[in-house]
Amino acid sequence: MTGFSDALAAGLGLLAAAAVVDLAAGARSRMVASLPYLIGAAGSVCLTVGGAGALAGYQARLWSAGVLGSGTAGLVADRLSGLFLVIAFGAAAWVSLGFAGWAHQGGTARRGLAATYALTLGAVAVFLTARDAFTLLFAWEMLTLAFYLLAGFEREKPGRPQAALITLAFGKSSGMALLAGLLLLAARSGSLTVASFAHVPPGMARTTAEALLMLGFVVKVGLVPFQVWLPPGYAAAPGPARAVMAGVAVNVGFYGLWRTLAVLGPPPGWLIGLLLVLAALTAVLGIAHAAVQVGLLRVIAYSSVENAGLILAGFGVAMVGAAIGDRLLVAAGLLAATLQMIAHTAAKSLLFTAAAGIESVFGTDDLDAVRGIARLSRWRGIGLAIGGLTLAGLPPTAGFVSEWFLLEALMQQFRVPGLGFRLVLAIAGAAVALTAGFAGVTFVRLIGMVVLGQPRSGDHPKLRDYRTGGRAAIVGLGAACLVLAALTPLEIRVVAAGLSPIVPAPLTSGALKSPWVLQPVFAGFSILSPSWLWIVMPALFLVVVLLTLGLSGRRLFRVRRVPAWRSATAGVTGSARYTVFGFANPTRRVLATVLHTRTEVRRIAPGGSATAAESAAGADRDGATAAHVGYTSDVIEPVEQYLYRPLLGPLLALGRAARRLQSGRLDAYLAYMLIALVAVLAVVIALA
Amino acid sequence: MSSDVMMGARPSGDVTALWDDVVAAVAEGHRFAGLFGTARPEGLVLTAHLAGAEGVTVAETVLPVTATSYPALTRRLGAAFWYEREIADMFGVIPQGHPRPEPLLLPQPAEGALRPRPGEPGGPVAIEPDPRALPLHVVGPGLFTIPHGPVRSGVMESIEYLVETPGEDIPHLNMRVFYKHRGLEKRFEGMTAGDGLLLAERVEGTATVAHALAYCHALERIAAADVPWAAALVRVLHAELERLACHLDVAVRLADAAGLAVATARFGRHKETVLRLVSRACGSRFGRGVVVPGGVSRLPLVSPADLLSDIGRLEGAVTADATALMGTASFLDRLRRTGPLSPERAREHGALGPVGKASGYSDDARDVRPYDAYPTLVLQQPAPWPAGDALDRLRVRWDEVSQSFHLLRQVAGELAQAPAGPLRAGCDVADGRSVGWAEAPQGEVLYDLRLEGGRLTRCRPRSASFHNLVLMHELFAGDILTDFPFIEASLGLSMAGVTR
Amino acid sequence: MWALRGLRDGVVTTRWPARPDPYAAAVRGPATVLDAYPADAGADGEGLGALCPTGAISRAEGPAGDGGIRLDQGKCVQCGRCVASRPDVFGWSEGSAAAALWRPGLVVPEVAETPERLAELRDGLRAKTAALRRSVHLRHVDAGSDGTEEWEILALLNPVYDMHRLGIFLTASPRHADILLVTGAGARGMAEPLRLTYDAMPAPKIVIAVGTDAVSGGLTSPSYATSGGIGAIVPVDVWLPGSPPAPFSILHALLLAIGRMP
Repeated sequence: MTGFSDALAAGLGLLAAAAVVDLAAGARSRMVASLPYLIGAAGSVCLTVGGAGALAGYQARLWSAGVLGSGTAGLVADRLSGLFLVIAFGAAAWVSLGFAGWAHQGGTARRGLAATYALTLGAVAVFLTARDAFTLLFAWEMLTLAFYLLAGFEREKPGRPQAALITLAFGKSSGMALLAGLLLLAARSGSLTVASFAHVPPGMARTTAEALLMLGFVVKVGLVPFQVWLPPGYAAAPGPARAVMAGVAVNVGFYGLWRTLAVLGPPPGWLIGLLLVLAALTAVLGIAHAAVQVGLLRVIAYSSVENAGLILAGFGVAMVGAAIGDRLLVAAGLLAATLQMIAHTAAKSLLFTAAAGIESVFGTDDLDAVRGIARLSRWRGIGLAIGGLTLAGLPPTAGFVSEWFLLEALMQQFRVPGLGFRLVLAIAGAAVALTAGFAGVTFVRLIGMVVLGQPRSGDHPKLRDYRTGGRAAIVGLGAACLVLAALTPLEIRVVAAGLSPIVPAPLTSGALKSPWVLQPVFAGFSILSPSWLWIVMPALFLVVVLLTLGLSGRRLFRVRRVPAWRSATAGVTGSARYTVFGFANPTRRVLATVLHTRTEVRRIAPGGSATAAESAAGADRDGATAAHVGYTSDVIEPVEQYLYRPLLGPLLALGRAARRLQSGRLDAYLAYMLIALVAVLAVVIALA
Repeated sequence: MSSDVMMGARPSGDVTALWDDVVAAVAEGHRFAGLFGTARPEGLVLTAHLAGAEGVTVAETVLPVTATSYPALTRRLGAAFWYEREIADMFGVIPQGHPRPEPLLLPQPAEGALRPRPGEPGGPVAIEPDPRALPLHVVGPGLFTIPHGPVRSGVMESIEYLVETPGEDIPHLNMRVFYKHRGLEKRFEGMTAGDGLLLAERVEGTATVAHALAYCHALERIAAADVPWAAALVRVLHAELERLACHLDVAVRLADAAGLAVATARFGRHKETVLRLVSRACGSRFGRGVVVPGGVSRLPLVSPADLLSDIGRLEGAVTADATALMGTASFLDRLRRTGPLSPERAREHGALGPVGKASGYSDDARDVRPYDAYPTLVLQQPAPWPAGDALDRLRVRWDEVSQSFHLLRQVAGELAQAPAGPLRAGCDVADGRSVGWAEAPQGEVLYDLRLEGGRLTRCRPRSASFHNLVLMHELFAGDILTDFPFIEASLGLSMAGVTR
Repeated sequence: MWALRGLRDGVVTTRWPARPDPYAAAVRGPATVLDAYPADAGADGEGLGALCPTGAISRAEGPAGDGGIRLDQGKCVQCGRCVASRPDVFGWSEGSAAAALWRPGLVVPEVAETPERLAELRDGLRAKTAALRRSVHLRHVDAGSDGTEEWEILALLNPVYDMHRLGIFLTASPRHADILLVTGAGARGMAEPLRLTYDAMPAPKIVIAVGTDAVSGGLTSPSYATSGGIGAIVPVDVWLPGSPPAPFSILHALLLAIGRMP
């Protein structure tokens, strides 16, 4: 075992230690509460080192064959695993620091959160390095369990139990799909190792298995129509656990898809087309909802849905390339998807880390109630601003670079023969371009009104600013969002090394036209240089500042402060500024078909309450006497409304019927076991 | 004068009976034309004006000195909505049962505040408005308030609109009008009739001639004076020129709101031509100093032949531009179905002037209760329009413009043949009480005067702007923020007349 | 279609002040004193004063006074009573140069030290507005006017006067404004908004009191709701009497304020 294998082992060991410390010592004091997270941070660093070593080509493995009866292989990190280890645990290290800071400042009073956090990270590590179906499924189920525990941690708060349940339901469904797919492949290939699945002869079984595997993975990342668990699930978890769920752990889904492409190759054309269309739909639906949500956590969660769509659109391009045999296209698609994934990891972890603690202090995460975060807690404001800018895809952040790569990859559709692929690629391209605009609107609302706005007048709860841990997290993740843009060539080389199991590294490195100028793998199409942007943009800004100073002299610093100009009104009580809710109204109207917006205006009697009788009676009275009105505007989730709700009834009926099996009688259970045994025997004999 | 003023008094203290009379008269077809209070030694006199075909009826009653409240008329007659709030501001008596008893012209705390009390000699030297007495405009969930004013974005008179909106629509509008209150009703007291005329001209400057006419009609009714024919013609001349200027101003504002730069410039130029014509005729661009009690101060300095040619040229230019404007589809689209006022509402409220005519309710004082030269001249009243939106209000204004040109041509012709003679009848009175009216461009203006010992003890100017502005609350059915300037311009009201 | 219509009448814009304009020269300003020492002055002093409804006519008494008739144009509402009853003593001032840079400068006939003081004020104003000479932005506040001054200010935008050709523009926000035009008698309800508007303007700023109401309260003062002109609320740089002042007079006052009036 080389040093990097030691690093892997140390990482897993530290995570286990963190869990033990938490379960044993619990939330005894502030210092002790933050200890497991610091240990977890150390563990993440070790795992990152191990992953980096694997990327570089060194051996990083734990357990040889046969140990602990785990079958034919152990935990091995090859280049692809190494890449994902670096991405996931690079972010997890900073998030852990933020977690430690949050726990130090109060966090949660119950023990067990750090253990669950360690369980999540451990499951992610094991999944990323698993080499056989059993370990894969084991890690997946552990992850589902960890998500369920995280979402249901604060189970006494309203809505949490339902959120945990829906997280568990979807997690179990994805596990079921994975189980079916892997078992099908194992049956056909005769062994449990993932590498052997590549030799399964093409046919119905391989296609079905591939489809099932992809189904399981896309449920995890939140593709339409499986995205309904993301918003409640993410919002239900406490504090920075959301960052772990949405920023770190979601990458296992993408890893699974990447690995499926590496092992099994491209699926049939219709599946690729379906995936691309669903990815486009996901992106549009995700951002449409993010733009109009009234809760901060929901906005961020729906942004995760949007990014899942974007990443899968890039992945779809790669699959098209694999299907037609164009490896450059595969490289372009995978590079774009991986870059987007990296930017999303950094930004989502940053956003959720910065948003930690707001809801517990304010009691709500309603955007109008939590306005002015930057004034209340500067570090949170910085984190939200940088994360928002990155996800909005504005230069010079990493999100801009990845969005550019994604659009460029989608624009290569003219190189694809055949109308079918071109059509779906065009649809995906149009959808991605549409989301870019609405992402701007969403994050302008977030940054401009919520982060930079004025806090509500009157007394608002005291929001303690972050200390060392939290600040470190925000600095680290924020720097990642910004510096990665400037160092994109380096990032591309690392990603190229990581993608080598799928497509040769020199092809992916073809994105580097010259040391600091990038192109979308295909030469002669277009170029971008975020590194130069990082030099030129600040330089221009400096020029403007110097010009202003030069032309105005000392007058620039003679400031007379007067109240904001509001046409000299005598003042109004209540909200007199554009509300965050109202800012999204144009979006609600424009996207009314997607969001099914419904509005209602009611006249309210001067007393304040609106009874139906009073409003009906006052409805035809002239407007002068009706003192004020109330306005409600609602959007619905069409997938949830039209797909799941109709299914809920029959499903519950089925559950009630199945409950009759649980009669509680021993003889009934013995009968079930006998019937099951007989059935299995019959099947085995029939197949033999 | 053919129309009459009928006085009717009710037993003191019986406000309910007075309201019964008023409501009954309105049901019979009269129009509620105003309500105000006068502080007399015997108590607070509540006076209601009712306008009908035969003239104006004055109905009043006296509240005892100690009374602090009275049953509100607004519950039974919605048109009294702002009048009663004004009475509460001026005198401190509360209308019981008023749906929104909030300060309108003078925000003061409900108890123990200084009140101006017009009609009572003397009075406070200064009353500062107390912004804490302003009503709390609590908005419902999902809404926020955009305060628009009092310092508005163009060259406009000061008024504040509180637009309650969820972000695009205007489901509701509130107004604060107290900013420009100048306390003119108290200023009238103690003035001689001549000085009072000067002040009446400056109550609502864009309707100077109409206010002067209404004031002088009241005095002439007290003195039973007969205005000479030539003077009556000159009065009509200036009144109609003023109407032209006001309607052209509305056209300028609407074209400006719609972004039609050439139309704005052309109508601005026509308005300037009218004002220069007025200043050539009498020395003042707004017709100040022309109308005096008993007649006019002088004949126009422009000969009737020149008048005729100027008017003819102006009519040709204005009519051509108006036709072009009413054929511009983009402009009409902005006005169509914007700010509709239903005919029922217009009739119920007694909407005055072009606002009422556009909603099918016409009570033009020049037609129904004519004065000066109007009984003799041909008026050619156009048919009212039905829809009541901003487009119809503009169409009514163009109808009135062509009507004015027709009248001006008649006046110019008659002036050329008018016999020379005195231009004013004797009108010196020391005591009396009467009502005078005139049709201003915004609608009917009413003056209720009381003279004692040669000095005014109460002069109540009721401009059409005050009566009509309250309708602004209900013109925003389903319109959005960008329709706001069109609705406001289409009403064509002057805030100076609202707040006095 | 509208573009062609706009070209129909050629150029109607006045060239004032570059070229003289007959209407500008014929503008009727406030009343003025033609003969400060009328023959029957001695006994009739009070009678002359009683002619004016706002008390603009007085007699220069005291050590500096010489018993001559004085008329404060800042209080003249152009009612014409004095001109009509004593055309030998009083007349109309004609022309658009009605504005003054200090309040006592509106008293006619001029007192001795007026020209020096005026030159001093003019230089001060010129220095203040050195940067504004060629392009200046106006903000208007209505502090209780009767509506006519607003018409006259808006008339400067029509093609006959067209103040844009002189580099004068209207702006919507006081943050962008250089000159504050105030009309109206200083209604108490508008005192605070007027102060807020004045504070919201960046230096250098100039205030022009437009109209007799703004200069001295006009006929509406004394009243419980007005404060005798806006001089008590904001510091005024240029005083422009007139009820209302004609557009040419307003233009003259604007050019005087930015130092472009020779």
